[in-house]
Amino acid sequence: MKYVPLIWSGIWRKRGRSILIMLQVLIAFLLFGLLQGMKSGIDQAIAETRADILIVHGRQGMAESLPLAHLPGIRAIPGVKAVYIQNFLVGAYQKPTQQILADAIDPNPTWAQYPGLVVSKADLEAMTRTRTGALASVTLARKYSWKVGDRIPLKSGLRQKDGSSDWTFEIVGTFAETEHLGLDEAILINNGYLNEARADGGQNTVHHYIVLADDPRQVSAVAQAIDDHFANSVDETRTEPLREYAQSSFQSLGDLNFVVRSVVGAVFFALLFAVGAMMMQSLHERTPELAVLKTLGFSDHKIFWIILLETSVLCVVAALLGLGCAALIFPLARSYLHGVSMPYTVLAAGIGLAVVLALISAALPAWRGMRLQVAEALAAR
Amino acid sequence: MASVLSFKDVSKSYKRGKENVAVLDHFNLEIAENDFVAVMGPSGSGKTTLLNLIGGLDRPSSGEVTVAGERLDLLSGSGLSHWRARHVGFIFQFYNLMPTLSAERNVELPLLLTSLSAGERRRKVAAALELVGLCDRGKHKPGELSGGEQQRVAIARALIADPAILVCDEPTGDLDRHTAEEILGLLQTLNRNYRKTIIMVTHDPKAASHASRQLYVDKGRLVDGAAQAVA
Repeated sequence: MKYVPLIWSGIWRKRGRSILIMLQVLIAFLLFGLLQGMKSGIDQAIAETRADILIVHGRQGMAESLPLAHLPGIRAIPGVKAVYIQNFLVGAYQKPTQQILADAIDPNPTWAQYPGLVVSKADLEAMTRTRTGALASVTLARKYSWKVGDRIPLKSGLRQKDGSSDWTFEIVGTFAETEHLGLDEAILINNGYLNEARADGGQNTVHHYIVLADDPRQVSAVAQAIDDHFANSVDETRTEPLREYAQSSFQSLGDLNFVVRSVVGAVFFALLFAVGAMMMQSLHERTPELAVLKTLGFSDHKIFWIILLETSVLCVVAALLGLGCAALIFPLARSYLHGVSMPYTVLAAGIGLAVVLALISAALPAWRGMRLQVAEALAAR
Repeated sequence: MASVLSFKDVSKSYKRGKENVAVLDHFNLEIAENDFVAVMGPSGSGKTTLLNLIGGLDRPSSGEVTVAGERLDLLSGSGLSHWRARHVGFIFQFYNLMPTLSAERNVELPLLLTSLSAGERRRKVAAALELVGLCDRGKHKPGELSGGEQQRVAIARALIADPAILVCDEPTGDLDRHTAEEILGLLQTLNRNYRKTIIMVTHDPKAASHASRQLYVDKGRLVDGAAQAVA
């Protein structure tokens, strides 16, 4: 601690240059924080995806719907605990900007066990009783001050058989998420009502099925059994564990690993030279001062560590600021990638990287400072 | 009086390109404790090299250098650093203060090498600055001080670890006559009242006259009959 003022004064000897270098390091670590944070956050989100859930969709992909008639067949596969149908309707509430997702479900009691969803049996029963009934997410209900009995109009691109694009639902209860399902701005509606009223010819189809397996270790076997069951039918299925599905969805964004490594690698390589050059320049300017320190009795090793610490403090402080900025900006990225948060390991890795950067870029200047001959340095003044 | 410094047959040469340049040539010298010695001589005569050897900043090519009871020619680099921190204080012509540190922090530098607490270091710094008459200038940076004040800070820094020997390289070379007299008076006080052995290189005969004896160096040797006490 007693060397802190000496190290600090060394950093700020040329204020302008130090600020510029700190800005370089800050921006590099901001980039690192965002990219690495996003990558690690996605990895973490994928790893946290439940292992006992499967998604069943058309063989050609999510754009292909499946017949509702597949439901009993899927339910009968050994190892299947529960099956949930998933259909969607998207509509604007009062303004075009107030887009709401209406997730069409079969409100049977098994929904009370849907992973990550908290919904009461009473509310499910109320929905069963009310054909146009809807359960609003707690977030939406709070946002628009909805209460049970309110009638909610949604203007959708999906028309009803009577030609109307206005769909009206009656709020009969609420639900909440305990893990991210993408339903925080959604309502749950009766698939029966949607199925009957829609005019697009999509009657008796579902967008996809969600399957809950008895045993997470058996999901691959269950997936295979489902696909085998519908093989050679008109509507063949493709069943994937939700974790694999999430992974392939994120991969469709591009090879994040490659992007992160390339960008971060290039930036740090350039930074290494920038910080190294600055330290060499600083050492050159401060040769007489280092010689004086040696004259006062500072050993070669102390000089080495002082230069190394100076660079480390500069790099770590700037890196922390950069990572801090990344943490502040990160919530913006979250709006595009739901469920992704910056893990603390990214902060730790960033600090580690800053120290490595400092050690490598300061090694040569520190070594030269250590080897400085006092008599020659003083004579050169 | 006991000898604090002894040079026995000391030679020092430097490589300049392929050439070997002899700076000190079989140099012999004894300096007693509490002496105030002025070293004079023309440029390139070897005065600064002599000072560097006395201060443990350099090693002789041959011969024995004993200062404050230690054979400096036998010490390693880290051994010399450790020895310098305890036994010798340096005062330079251009003060050589850290421009980004306050006067207090500059004076404190040698104490960073000790195990003293922050409080003890602060007390010693205050006492040293008071001794050189700068107790109200401790927070100022060197750039905010006059040349005389900067040299006083340098003297306080040289004294702070209580070394037996002060090595001064043209301490008044950058100062006006009046300020130079003040600094020389301060060095005399340190010599007489605080029993510091002072070895001062100077070109200025008036400055040299403040010393108790003068040595003349030329072409790497003591000039015959030069070691005379000044009355």
